This record gives sequence, C-alpha cells and structure tokens, in this order.
Amino acid sequence: MALTKEIYSVFEDVVGPESICADPVIMPSYFGKNFAAVILPKDTKQVQAVVRLCNKYKLKFRPICTGWKGTFPENIILLDLRRMNRIIEINEKNMYAVVEPYVISAQLQAELMKRGFHLNVKGAGTNTAAMLRGHGHLDQSTSGDDRNHLAIEWVTPEGDIVRSGSLGSTDEWFSGDGPGPSLRSILTSAVPPGSTPGVFTKGAVKIYHWPGPSRLPVQGVSPNITLSEIPPNFMARYYSFPSLEKMMQAEFKIGESEIAFELMGFNIAMVASNMTVSNEEDEEVFRRLEKESQGLGFFIIIAGNCAADFEYKKKVLRHIINETGGKSLESIEKDPRTEGILLTNCIRISASIRETFRSGGMFASIPSMGQRDLTVRWAVGAGKAKRSLIEKGLVVDDGGAFFGWGVEHGHLGKTEIFCRYDPLKPGAEEAVQKWKAEQQKRASDEHYFAMLWGPEDEIGKGLCDYQSWWSKIRKAIDPNGVALEAGSLV
Amino acid sequence: MSLEKYQDHMEMCMRCSCCKFIPMQRVQGHKYTYVCPSITKYNFHSYSGGGRLNIGLAMLKKGFNYTDKLLDIVYNCQMCGACGVSCNYAMDMEVMEPINEFRIKCVEDGKTNSALEKVITGLRKQGSMVPVTGKRGEWASGLNLKDAVKEKVDVLYHVGCLTSYDKDMQRLAKATVKILQKAGVNFGIAGDNETCCGGRAYQMGYEQDFLNQAKENMAMIKKAGVKTVVTSCADGYQAFKVLYDKFNLKGDLEVLHISELVDRLIKDGKLKPRKRVDLSVTYHDPCRLGRLGEPWIHWEGKRLSQSFVFDPPKVYRRGTYGVYEAPRDVLKSIPGIKLTEMTRIKEYAWCCGAGGGVNESNPEFAQWTARERIEEAGSTGAEAIVTACPWCEKTFNETIKGNGSGLKVYDIVELIEKAI
Repeated sequence: MALTKEIYSVFEDVVGPESICADPVIMPSYFGKNFAAVILPKDTKQVQAVVRLCNKYKLKFRPICTGWKGTFPENIILLDLRRMNRIIEINEKNMYAVVEPYVISAQLQAELMKRGFHLNVKGAGTNTAAMLRGHGHLDQSTSGDDRNHLAIEWVTPEGDIVRSGSLGSTDEWFSGDGPGPSLRSILTSAVPPGSTPGVFTKGAVKIYHWPGPSRLPVQGVSPNITLSEIPPNFMARYYSFPSLEKMMQAEFKIGESEIAFELMGFNIAMVASNMTVSNEEDEEVFRRLEKESQGLGFFIIIAGNCAADFEYKKKVLRHIINETGGKSLESIEKDPRTEGILLTNCIRISASIRETFRSGGMFASIPSMGQRDLTVRWAVGAGKAKRSLIEKGLVVDDGGAFFGWGVEHGHLGKTEIFCRYDPLKPGAEEAVQKWKAEQQKRASDEHYFAMLWGPEDEIGKGLCDYQSWWSKIRKAIDPNGVALEAGSLV
Repeated sequence: MSLEKYQDHMEMCMRCSCCKFIPMQRVQGHKYTYVCPSITKYNFHSYSGGGRLNIGLAMLKKGFNYTDKLLDIVYNCQMCGACGVSCNYAMDMEVMEPINEFRIKCVEDGKTNSALEKVITGLRKQGSMVPVTGKRGEWASGLNLKDAVKEKVDVLYHVGCLTSYDKDMQRLAKATVKILQKAGVNFGIAGDNETCCGGRAYQMGYEQDFLNQAKENMAMIKKAGVKTVVTSCADGYQAFKVLYDKFNLKGDLEVLHISELVDRLIKDGKLKPRKRVDLSVTYHDPCRLGRLGEPWIHWEGKRLSQSFVFDPPKVYRRGTYGVYEAPRDVLKSIPGIKLTEMTRIKEYAWCCGAGGGVNESNPEFAQWTARERIEEAGSTGAEAIVTACPWCEKTFNETIKGNGSGLKVYDIVELIEKAI
C-alpha cells in the first residue's frame, strides 16, 4: 500500500525530504519488503512525531537498528534508526553508559576501554547495537540479557515518552527499576526492537571493569589481523575433555571460582572458523583440530587485574583442568599469533560472522536458556540429528557440534546449536527447518526447555498464563494495533 | 564479466552492516568508525555496499527498474572498495566486483549520469578525463626529457590527465621528473602520444571506453619496448597494474607507483633525501594505490562441497596486498618529517571523495567526503596531509579552500623533491 502524497508529506515535514523514501527501488536493501516508507528519524522527538502519525493514519510501524535479516510484513512504516547514533553519557562512577540505538558495540567498547571499562557484547557481534538485549561470549563476566539494561527511554506505541526506572524520577540512568516506574516486565524485549512494541530511543547499559590495555595492540592487514603481543595478564586457551560430564564439571568449577573473563563453549568448528581467513583454510584447520582435541570442549580467556591475580587464576584453572582431564589445544597454547587472533576476535568482534555465515552463506539456530547441564544433554541429541544432514551433504560439516556458556559464572546459561548451509542448495533449507522444528519439539516434549516463541498457550500453563496477561497489556498500550512485535533483532 | 556471474556472491550478503564500518578490531572510539562515505552521507541502507548487492540481486531476479533514486544510489559511490575490505575480513564473497558490474550495466543500458557523459565525451574526443588546454606534453617543454616512443628508455613515466593538463598539478610532474633525474633513472615520457589510462572511465562504468584506452596504451608501450611504467597517480597505477591485468592486457609489464620506485631507489642508495623538511604530517592512503591497488588474481575453478570451498582454492582480493608501506617508508626517510597516523588507514582508509566519478557528478558529495578526511587528519595534530595521488590532492585543496582549514596538502613527490 503506497502512502498517499498527503500522508507522505506529513511524514516528510517531520524528518525532512532526505530522510524518508518510499521508492520501491530501495526496498531490496530493506529485507525485500514493500514497505510503505522507510523513515530515518534523528531523535526522540522525531520518533514520537512519526509514531503519533502512524496512530493517526493507522499505519503499522517497526524500528530497526543495524538491521540484520528478519521477518517483516509488507506495507509498514519502517523506522531505520541509523541517524540516532550518539553516545549520550559514560558514567564511570555509577558504571553505566547511555546510548542511542545505532551506537554499535564496537564504538562503545572502544570508548569504554580507554576508561578502563567494557560491556557485554552480544553474540551477533560488535557490529550491532550496543543496547541490544541478548547474550554473548562475555556473559561469564558481564552477565547478559535484560540484566544489563538500566533505565530506558521508550516511545510507546501511542507516541508517549516513558522514562523507566530512575530516569522516571531523576535525570539519572542508574537503575531500570526505580526510584520511578519499573517496567521491566514490559520493557523486557530484545531492544531495539523486539517483542516490546514501540521504540527504544535511548538506553543505559551496565558497564564492567576492563583489566586490559586502553587499546588492544592489533597488528596486520585485514584479514590477517592479530595482536602484536598478548597483553599482560591475558591468556586464551581451548580445552577439550574426555566426556560431556567432565566438561560440565570443569565449566561449573570455573564458574564457581569466578576466574574466567570469558568462557565460551565453542566447538572445534567454530574455533577453526575464527582462526582462519578463508573457507578452504577453515576446512583444513577443522580437520587438524578435530584430531588434536579429545572431544567436547570450551574456549576460555583468563584476564588478571594484576600479575598476582593472573597467577592465582591460572593456578586455579590448572587445578580444575587436571581434575577433569582437560587437554589444551597446542595450536593455541603454543602459537601466540593464533592466541592473538582468538583474543582480538572474541573480545573485539564477538567472532560471530566467520563462524556462522562464511562457510555456507546462511545459518539456522536453536538458542536456549536454562540449566547448562540439562540443555547440553538436549544439544547432544540435536547434534546427533544434525549428523544425518551432514552425511547427506545438506549442511556444512562441523562434527554435529553445539556450543554454550554459563552466565554470571553460574550454572544457568546459554546453549545453542546451529546448521550452516547454502540456502540455494536444493533441499537444504527444508531439511534444516525440519531439523529445527523436530529438535525444538523434542526440547519441549522431553522437558529440556521450551521455545518462548513456540506454542504460547501450552507454555503459558507453566508460566502463570503470561501470554494472556501480555495480550492484555499489549491492547492497553497499543489500542490502535500499530506497533509490531518480533522480527529483526539486530 | 557480468552481473549474473556474481549472483551467488550477492546472495551471500546477510546484511550484517560490517560494510559500513572499518573492521571492528580497528574501531578506536565513536569517531572515525565509518568507512563508506556513501552510507555515511545518505543514510539509507541502499547506499551501503551490502545494500547495493541487495538491490543488484533483486534487479537480476525481477528485472531492472531504473528510477531516479536508483541512479542516485548507483552514481553516489566513490567505488572506493572499503566496503569489500570490511566484509571480506570475515566473508568469502565478492563485493566490489558486482557493484562495478552493476554500474557497467547501467551505462550499457544508457542509464548514465549527464556529468559523467560529458567527461566521457571529452575522453573519446581528446583522450583526457579533464578539459584539454594546449598539448598534453606541454608541461615538459624545456625539460629535455626523452620521448619514450622514439628513444630507448628503461622506464616510461605515465603522467596522467590531471597532472598533464591542470596547471596547478603540473608541478607534480616536474617534481617527479626531478626525482627520477636525480636518481639517474633512464626514463622518458610519451608526451603528446600519451593518452588517458582509462581507469577513471572504468570507475564510472564505461568499460568499453576503458578498454579502448587500455589497448591504445599497451600498443604504444609494446611499440616503444618499455618494460616498466611508473605513475604518480593512484588511478593510473590501478589501471595499468590491476585493471589491465584483469582484462589480460598487461602482459609482463612492470607497473610501479612513484612511491614504490622512490622507496626502492632510497633503499638501493641511489636517492638520498638529505635536506631537512621540518613538518609534521599524516599520510592519506589513496584507495587505488592502497586496497584497490593490490594485484589482480586470475582464478578459475569449481565449487567442491556444501560449504563455499573451491578447487583450486579461491583467493579473494581483500585489500591485503595494496601499497601501504612504501610511501610510509619514503616519508620516514626524509629528515625532519614526523609521521602521525590517522585512525582510518591502509586497507580501511577513508576515501578522499574524488573517485567513481563523484568528483564530476556530485562535487558537493566529493567535498563532504574530503572534509571528513581533513578533519580526521587535523585531529592527529599534523600540519599537513600527504597523499600520493593528484586527484586526492586536488579534492583536499578545493575543500580546504572552502572551509578555512589551515591544513597543508602535499603530494609525496613534493616532499621528496624538497629533501633531495
């Protein structure tokens, strides 16, 4: 549905002619959908005005940040928040940073490192929004999900501006829960955008102590980038274990001793992808590392606040690894260049693209949150099921691997498994989606976990019928039904 | 070559937005993070490298729908290649090639830009990308240079259009000559027989005009028996070294940028920069000497497996082997020069703004892009920005004239000339 000239011009009056476009020619770059228009607001005031117009003309809308692929309906107003890219504040004393939606994690991280801080980088990578909700490689020491969100400025689906938590009663962003209105149950979505309707226009995220240098000593010419030296009191290793049980014991003990800066349950295939600069090299290194490792394992970064702290953490790690029969990958331990590559990739990029998209062009994932020792048992089964797709040549061979990590040094954590594949290969997409559906169903049927976007009515029975409450809340805050849920997360 | 050939590559774009930024490990803060001038100025995703691939793919599948907006997107790109470098840190896919092919397709379909048409008309008539005033070799009158077409020389100095005809830029040609003479290089010029390298025509999408120029140049070079060509223009360097090779026209011709030759001469002890040049500088990597100056890779092969693995292994041009160190080494060899680097350098340098025909089709955008670079250069505390391409120098100078910046602009040959 094309906008009438009259309606187009009222939006144009808000953002200016350079920041609105309805020409179908741009739409392939916006998920291939025929949006009524793509609008680029520059600040909260413009977002508010656009949202109010959407209500007036009963036009559905959705915001995006950097906008990785997602699912979008046709004919909506797409708010591309690209121009909202300012770091509003870095509050060192109270350890938070306030950002607009298009500040990417790499930008904020670099500013924070100069000041001795860093942030949780989501698994999607530092190329995505810093205020995005989610999990990432650094969850062990920087938590994850909405626990990193403090006060939020939210333009509601009707166009009101709500300032949550401490921002509701003061000018401070230090808390999402008060003094002031705590809307955590509503503002709990991946931001921005995500399940919560409306637009998050500013958000405060927690920042954490960074024990490293103000800038990592990156050297080399792309893509051959590594560190000129391993920063003092830093170490990266990969350990494989004789069994799943031993690996989980090691992970839990490391968590309990709070020694890991990063504990990322990479599988060997993901390590190989991150170490290498091309698919051909990736395959070769994967085969080599497979032989070198003794089974399932994880990647760990130890970072000491001083030499003594570093020595202590290494000593504890050695003890745990010995106790659990862990074996260090020599390809990393004995090669500072590779160690440097993995350190810089895992800290500064979150490593995501090489390990997901490069080899097949596409990946389909099943992420889960729950007790790690429970969800990994499900993942083992999902990995076995993936093997049949590998044997048929439908997905990239990663040995049936999965990955995950504990959050906040705890037993609760993220477990995920994905298939990498070429979506153009006949039968691949269908096979992967079938695998995905079967493994999600198995997770629910066998009581491992439930996908929250799954059968809501069934899941809701165990969760206070949350879906019916959410439905009522949605109707109350979005009476015109213009603000869309779901879609692209990044 | 054709856009169709790159369909698989365009399908690979996952819209991660890395093409908009410098490689993530290189991000040093909130500023100087973007690498693509087009998306940075025009904001719609369509103006990014990924967006261009998305549009190209859609057009291939659904047919070409030329609108004013599409042509605005197509021609407001310096074709600087930064998007490809940032993408190719992680991904195995071609980025710049399909973007090039899309523009070529536009030209073939008659969907051209009027300003670029005017330039190409001039090229066809007079063999130059800039307005012709007088004869091409006039700048050399009185210098007693060898005519490479008639006399035996080791090195042909290809001067280039801008340096030959622009009165202000002719000093670069004279400086280059002085350096070569001082080092005792047996060189010559083609004078009035020189014609445009065709590189900028290719950037603008005029493939056939480029090929005509390339063939004419190589015929002249073959006839003259020249084994080495040196250019002081990054566009010329890329044309001779990379593009001629891409189209199997280069043969075994050695192509050097003046900074490479000078670096070699200094290291061989044939040129000694002894005079002090007390100046704090920062160096701007021209796109076509840097990331786009890396050699062409001829590859034919087949895909082997479910993943994108090829036999023989496909080697992508990721900007790794551009000319980065030679100009820096040259600057460091000049007594008194203090070199401070900008944030965006080497393979992830920000473009000067002049490439891809933008200088002609949208000068305001070219100068906006240059302003970004001048500000970044100023942030280093340097007194001057040094480049290795007359097009960069011209754009910087014009922009500085307009915005009152006190930054000085030099071509690298000017500083060498001062030092010898």
